[in-house]
Amino acid sequence: MTDMTPMLDCDAVMRQLWDYIDGELTEERMAAIRAHLVLCARCQPQHEFELTFLKTLARVRSEHSNLGSVRERVMAALHNEGFAAA
Amino acid sequence: MASDEESKREKDRQFQNEALRWIPEVTRYALSLTRNEPDADDLVQETFLRAYRAWDSYTPGTECRAWLFTICRNLFRRASQREQRQVTCEDAELEALAAAAVHASAQQSGCGDIFAQVDLSDAVDRALAELPEAYREVVILVDVQDQSYDATSGVLGVPIGTVRSRLFRGRRLLQEALLAYARDAGVVRADRDSSETMFR
Repeated sequence: MTDMTPMLDCDAVMRQLWDYIDGELTEERMAAIRAHLVLCARCQPQHEFELTFLKTLARVRSEHSNLGSVRERVMAALHNEGFAAA
Repeated sequence: MASDEESKREKDRQFQNEALRWIPEVTRYALSLTRNEPDADDLVQETFLRAYRAWDSYTPGTECRAWLFTICRNLFRRASQREQRQVTCEDAELEALAAAAVHASAQQSGCGDIFAQVDLSDAVDRALAELPEAYREVVILVDVQDQSYDATSGVLGVPIGTVRSRLFRGRRLLQEALLAYARDAGVVRADRDSSETMFR
């Protein structure tokens, strides 16, 4: 933490924890929350909890059983429209 | 000056390079909207047709994937004529604080690390499907399709503040549903006094 990094309390960190995880804050704010998380025994476990939750969510992607057929349909429709693949 | 034929070739080349590469992502997104493959197939086909016809309005090098998601969602909503649910809570910071309560509850139940320890794929699928549409579409775009708040705001046509509040509430509702699933399924003990987990 630098001298310029504002000190944050847990409440302020909790209010912006999702924004921090999503990388949606200013660099200065990101640095301040990162510094708080390193030192705070209360906020750090919650940060870990949210990160693992989001990893679980990201793994769940609805997959089409036959992506090739979708691509063929799209290409056929585009060709009828005049599209010519290179 | 380029001939019409050269212009057409250049348009097709750009469309192939910038738009068609996103067929898998648009298909996943369409599937998350329709929840069945035949309807998703129709939606994907129509999305790329509309995109091709409107290609002149797209600025090359910008967020093509978000642009395709926007077309896809607009087509879906027009087809299904769904009314967007009214969302009463739009306070993102209150939602962020509520997330702390979910974590505290998980810790009390001895499952503070449940997401790291247990495969919840099926439960996540179900919980996502049951999430109210207004929250589900934001969670899908940000957490599954990896879109920024700004891009999601553009796709959905709502302010960024609304994206944040719906996203945070959607995440909290999902977490609560997953913890309830874990307790009901006996993956963790419902006994609040016990800190012992029963991971299978």
